[in-house]
Amino acid sequence: MTPSPIAPAIDIRDLRVDYEHFTAVHDLTLKVPAGEVFGLVGPNGAGKTSTFKVLASLMQPTYGEVILSGVDVLEDKEEARRVIGYMPDLAPVPRDLKCGEFLRFYARAQGLGNAKQCAERADECLAEVALTDHKNHWCHKLSRGQTQRLVLAKTMLHSPKVLILDEPASGLDPLARRELRGTLRKLASQGATIFISSHILTELAEMCTSICVMSRGKLLASGTVDQVRQQLGDDSRSITVVPLQEITSVPDWIRLFDGVADARIDAGSILLDFVGDEEAQANLLEEMIRRGLRMRSFTEKRSSYEEILIGVAERSRLS
Amino acid sequence: MNQSVVCRAWEIWKNPIFLRYCRSRLRPTAISVAILISVMMSGFLFQMIRTVSANNENFTIEDIERTPLTALLVFQGFILFMLGTAQASGGMTAERDEGVIDYQRLLPMTPAAKVIGFLFGLPIREYVMFASTLPFTIWCFWKGNVPAHTWISLYGVAFSTTILYHLTGLLTGTIVKNRRWAFLASIGLIFALYTIIPQAAKFGLVFFKYLTVTPTAEESMRFLLPSTMGDAWETGRRLLSQAKFFNLNFSEAVFTYFSQSCLIITFFVMLCRRWKDADAHLLGKIWAVGFYSWVQLLLLGNALPLIDSGKLFPTQQLSRFSYMMRGRAWQPESWETIAMILVYGLLSLLFLWVLSGIITPNFGTQINGWRRANKFGRKRLPRLADESNSTGFVLLMAIIGGAGWFAFTHMLVESRWFPGHFAPPSLAGYFILAMVTCALLHQMLLEAKGGRAVFLGIIFLLVLPLMVASIVIGTSDRLAPIAVWIGGISPLSLPALCAINHLSISDFPMNLSRAIPGAYVFWQAIYLITVISLTKTLWRTRTSTKELV
Repeated sequence: MTPSPIAPAIDIRDLRVDYEHFTAVHDLTLKVPAGEVFGLVGPNGAGKTSTFKVLASLMQPTYGEVILSGVDVLEDKEEARRVIGYMPDLAPVPRDLKCGEFLRFYARAQGLGNAKQCAERADECLAEVALTDHKNHWCHKLSRGQTQRLVLAKTMLHSPKVLILDEPASGLDPLARRELRGTLRKLASQGATIFISSHILTELAEMCTSICVMSRGKLLASGTVDQVRQQLGDDSRSITVVPLQEITSVPDWIRLFDGVADARIDAGSILLDFVGDEEAQANLLEEMIRRGLRMRSFTEKRSSYEEILIGVAERSRLS
Repeated sequence: MNQSVVCRAWEIWKNPIFLRYCRSRLRPTAISVAILISVMMSGFLFQMIRTVSANNENFTIEDIERTPLTALLVFQGFILFMLGTAQASGGMTAERDEGVIDYQRLLPMTPAAKVIGFLFGLPIREYVMFASTLPFTIWCFWKGNVPAHTWISLYGVAFSTTILYHLTGLLTGTIVKNRRWAFLASIGLIFALYTIIPQAAKFGLVFFKYLTVTPTAEESMRFLLPSTMGDAWETGRRLLSQAKFFNLNFSEAVFTYFSQSCLIITFFVMLCRRWKDADAHLLGKIWAVGFYSWVQLLLLGNALPLIDSGKLFPTQQLSRFSYMMRGRAWQPESWETIAMILVYGLLSLLFLWVLSGIITPNFGTQINGWRRANKFGRKRLPRLADESNSTGFVLLMAIIGGAGWFAFTHMLVESRWFPGHFAPPSLAGYFILAMVTCALLHQMLLEAKGGRAVFLGIIFLLVLPLMVASIVIGTSDRLAPIAVWIGGISPLSLPALCAINHLSISDFPMNLSRAIPGAYVFWQAIYLITVISLTKTLWRTRTSTKELV
């Protein structure tokens, strides 16, 4: 089946996954347009892996519909598996195959042509993840990062329309992460839709065009990283103003300024808890200059992605 | 990218999983060592036995060439049955241990193609080792002038047995989570298939011996041994049982194919179901009932034709010559008849419990089914779906099992060997009642309380009372009635008490004969009450599950 031009690449409707009394995914509805690098973030136990397993046709949900690139995953698994590329968490590799053999086997199993064509495709994918030199190395002897890249190469073999990557950057060093980002961007530019999960929001923020946040099986927010921040109600930031001359108290007009929630002096600097929008923040800076407050710096610090996620986890734990 | 159909199930040479194992298990170093070992062993057996038998003046050239055959066939059996099965089971578990099994699940191949890929791929090295021993047996067949039909039927059955055992290995590897346990379970099963289960054949359940290559090997032995020994073997063999299915006569090989095929197909279906859905029951409800009925039919079909000739009775096979020596005509003993009836009933019950365990949904499966039904506004679960309760199907199997057991007992007791004894139709009611009680007890406990309760029940209600009863009965004959009452606690003894109580051929000591009726009636009533009480519990559980959703 060919998806219509406006059909989303990933269309999840009312998805529910239960383990006896525990509901891992609670009526999740989500649409991801084609060509996106879409991140799914949430604390441990949020339901990310269960969602991914259903998407990858590895698990039967309690109910719900999952349509990937126009193919109903629950109705036509075999066809769905042609459009899916799934990379599980911790990306295991067999102990008895070499890297080249590993890829050739999956190329053949995906029906990518005769032995020669499969070998060529395997070499291409190895080159894409910069593992050509390791073609004749045993899979299990690769480093963690190399293993991740090898499994990514396996996932890309059949040029899937939808790539489902469960925690692909876990255990990778910064350099390997940068390489992974590059590879994913390249795949997205070639038209693939990439769905990545992580419990590290920073990691996703670096890679994704948009994200969604899940907690306790429920979707809390989705959109661009900043939109998600707003949806989660975490738009507060702290502003540090370092005056040129030391001052001992915060001027009253600052305390009363629109958007300032709290103001105090700490080690000669003015610390402001600011909840106003960006326009209000610009007005505050303008007013400071107008009133002749000479300053060495005006710094804004937003809550880190981790802090937002911790907040989400805390809130869902308390609820 | 061109993505054609990867391979059809039967196109083994194109099967990527098969080819993957050919690559990894046939690496030059490993396969060279394996071939070296098998050639060395078979060469040693071949040459040593020939050399020794060459000294026997009674042997012709043909006889000498035949002598290594038995040892070589045993060695080939060891490679295929033992090593191959261990590899099938261990390899499958390793796939899961390493976590790569999900990759295989994601391959766009049919479940059948995947099963065939693993079935022939995992033990590929063992097939090559087997092939490397073939030149020696071919030499022996050729020079020993063994008729073609003999080795064709022998290797045909060996192949079918290999497939059956490898499927057993794959199945244990798929079900049992721990690699070591999977290996032990599969080897244990093969060991049981060769040593313990064929013992049931001596007690009337002839079907079980056809799960091994033994009957065909025995049939072929005439041509595998030196001519004088072969003739003596054949004379002895003809006195023993022959393969029969009701009034049909088959060769041992044909009957082995016939018996094994039903298990092979069932195991294959089980594996395909698991490849299709990792959480699916191993068998569907209809298949389980059909399989149980088929096995009952096979048990009866094999056993009943052998009653009149007396070949079914263990003493006829074991003590025929001692009777002849004593100048007495052989006559079956009543104890062996009772033992055969009990073995039939108990095995039917145990098999029923296994199938009931397979098709009974756990709480999680049921509640998910209700959530699904609720979502789509259905008032009932689909009757044949995994999540639907299995009570009706277990009840049906229990009735079939009870009826089969009665048919066996009726034919045995009312045979020409026991004039004046009867197994009236009312007995069928008692047998079915005992079967139904025991079967529902298991099914309801499993559904209402889960696998852990059943496990504890097996230890404390099923096994422990029998152990205590055995100790008590061993202490003193006078305590035998107490042992009967204690043993009666075990549901496993219910069919035994039922049969002994109702059969006139039972010939037990007076104190036992007095204790059995009371113990039977009491425990039958207790278990019936338990089943009724469990029915209520189950009803409440089902209602609360619906409400929970």
